[in-house]
Amino acid sequence: MQVVETKNEGLSREFTITVGADEIDQKVGAKLEEVGQTVKMPGFRPGKVPMKILRQRFGSSVLGEVLEKTVGESSQSALVDRELKPAMQPKIEITSFEEGQDLVYTMAVEIMPAITPVDFGTLELTRYKPEITDEEVQNALDELAKNNRATSKIEKDRKTQSGDVVMLNFKGFVDGEAFQGGEAEDFRLELGSGQFIPGFEDQLIGQKAGEDMKVTVTFPEEYGAAHLAGKEAIFECKINEIHEYTDRELNDDFAKELGLESLDDLRDQMRQRIESEYADLARARTKRELLDVLFDKHDFEVPPGMVQSEFDQIWEQFAKAKEEGQVDDEDKDKDEEVLKSEYRDIAKRRVLLGLLLAHVGDEAKIQISQEELQKAVFEQARRYPGQERQVFEYYTQNPEMMASLRAPLFEEKTVDYILELAKVNDLALPVDKLLESDDDGDEKPKKAAGKKAAAKKSTSKKGAAKKAAAKKDAD
Amino acid sequence: MSWKFLNKSTPSLERMYRVIVAPVITEKATLAGEHGAVVFKVAKDATKPEIKAAVEQIFDVKVKAVNTSVVKGKTKRFRGRLGVRNDWKKAVVSLEEGHSIDVGSGI
Repeated sequence: MQVVETKNEGLSREFTITVGADEIDQKVGAKLEEVGQTVKMPGFRPGKVPMKILRQRFGSSVLGEVLEKTVGESSQSALVDRELKPAMQPKIEITSFEEGQDLVYTMAVEIMPAITPVDFGTLELTRYKPEITDEEVQNALDELAKNNRATSKIEKDRKTQSGDVVMLNFKGFVDGEAFQGGEAEDFRLELGSGQFIPGFEDQLIGQKAGEDMKVTVTFPEEYGAAHLAGKEAIFECKINEIHEYTDRELNDDFAKELGLESLDDLRDQMRQRIESEYADLARARTKRELLDVLFDKHDFEVPPGMVQSEFDQIWEQFAKAKEEGQVDDEDKDKDEEVLKSEYRDIAKRRVLLGLLLAHVGDEAKIQISQEELQKAVFEQARRYPGQERQVFEYYTQNPEMMASLRAPLFEEKTVDYILELAKVNDLALPVDKLLESDDDGDEKPKKAAGKKAAAKKSTSKKGAAKKAAAKKDAD
Repeated sequence: MSWKFLNKSTPSLERMYRVIVAPVITEKATLAGEHGAVVFKVAKDATKPEIKAAVEQIFDVKVKAVNTSVVKGKTKRFRGRLGVRNDWKKAVVSLEEGHSIDVGSGI
């Protein structure tokens, strides 16, 4: 086997590999002998078929097999000999081969860049924490109280108002005929809630309890049931009772009703819940800043093939979004070329960070334990209530899907690892600050950051997956 | 002796192709091949001179000798009934030194 390097530019390498005819012949012979031991042929006892006849009969099919194997092995060994780590599957093109001739093929490969992470100890980062003000807790509690308020029947005789709850009997007719689902008794309807078709609730306002009345409405054109859409309907209605909301007071009784000790207890719980809600946000921001820093500090060449495939993916998403008319306003007026170059930058950034994180994680020997993976699967399963079992089975049966779960976990752990090493200043930020800070800074980084955040998962997923593939190959 | 053994003229080309039915590819036949002989399945009514002429013509070789034998068909049971497979004639053709036929590469 002879390997000639024909191109060495940046990260891309090209080789011309020649495998001698006798080498292939030898392999074919060995393979045939192996086949001959088991093959059954009329006129011969198994294992007694002469080589000549085997060659005639099976020569060409075995040759194909051997060729494939030879190409795989020789390309692999060429890479191993040169200690190159391919970033993607090498592109192999067979230049010439005929039976009894040398096999010549070219292999184009992009190698992994040499990554030297900066000393993470020198990084200065800010870890954000949500700071929940008492006001916000209070607001949340008020909301809770509002959602839990009770209604009570009003005793005095008065007309209905918006915001009242009425107990309603109704029966609907379209073209003089009652239709299905257009009838109920003692239906609890909050007036002004917009629960019924437009116009219906308005006509019930200003009525007294116990009176029979007629409500005429027109179903909207885009109504769910096609046979009713756009039709005029008459509802015979009777308001049985009028109820009114009574505000709940925030006190210990209310807390006890919710299964807690006291109002303070409730307050604490509420605060914790809000905090955990915003913790993700804070973490995302910390992570984004970390990635920004990492991106600034590292500049190594990334394999163009990976960037290209990443870019293709983004572009595909973008094209899809465009078709559905969901394009960011700021992108709307831009020229396609400009957009492309912007997205290309993003793709490059993703690949770079993906490779870097994969590298760091690998160096740090970050492992995803079986339990963690299991937990992630359960979390996924919980998203589809009622189908947990199917989801669970789906993941256990598809190792690829498992790998796709593993990647984000791996990334998170790697980020944690870097955060541990770096100098971290904790900073508590009020929630609105946390939210709005996305918008400061100039246009470009924000955009890149935002987009990246949205699709970051896929980046590192790819990086990790690729790394895994590379590893497998090395084995 | 029937008439066909008296007829000395060379058979027609068509007849030649009809005489040689197929090569016999078995362990025994390959063994014979190592001693410069080729084994054919031939027409039941083919004679040794006919076979010699046919092989010489079709494969462009020189034949030293032809030995023939009639292989009796096996008695086989099919759906409980006895049946007999057809008999066929086998010809072991010894070639002159330096000649060979690549069996299996077709005519």
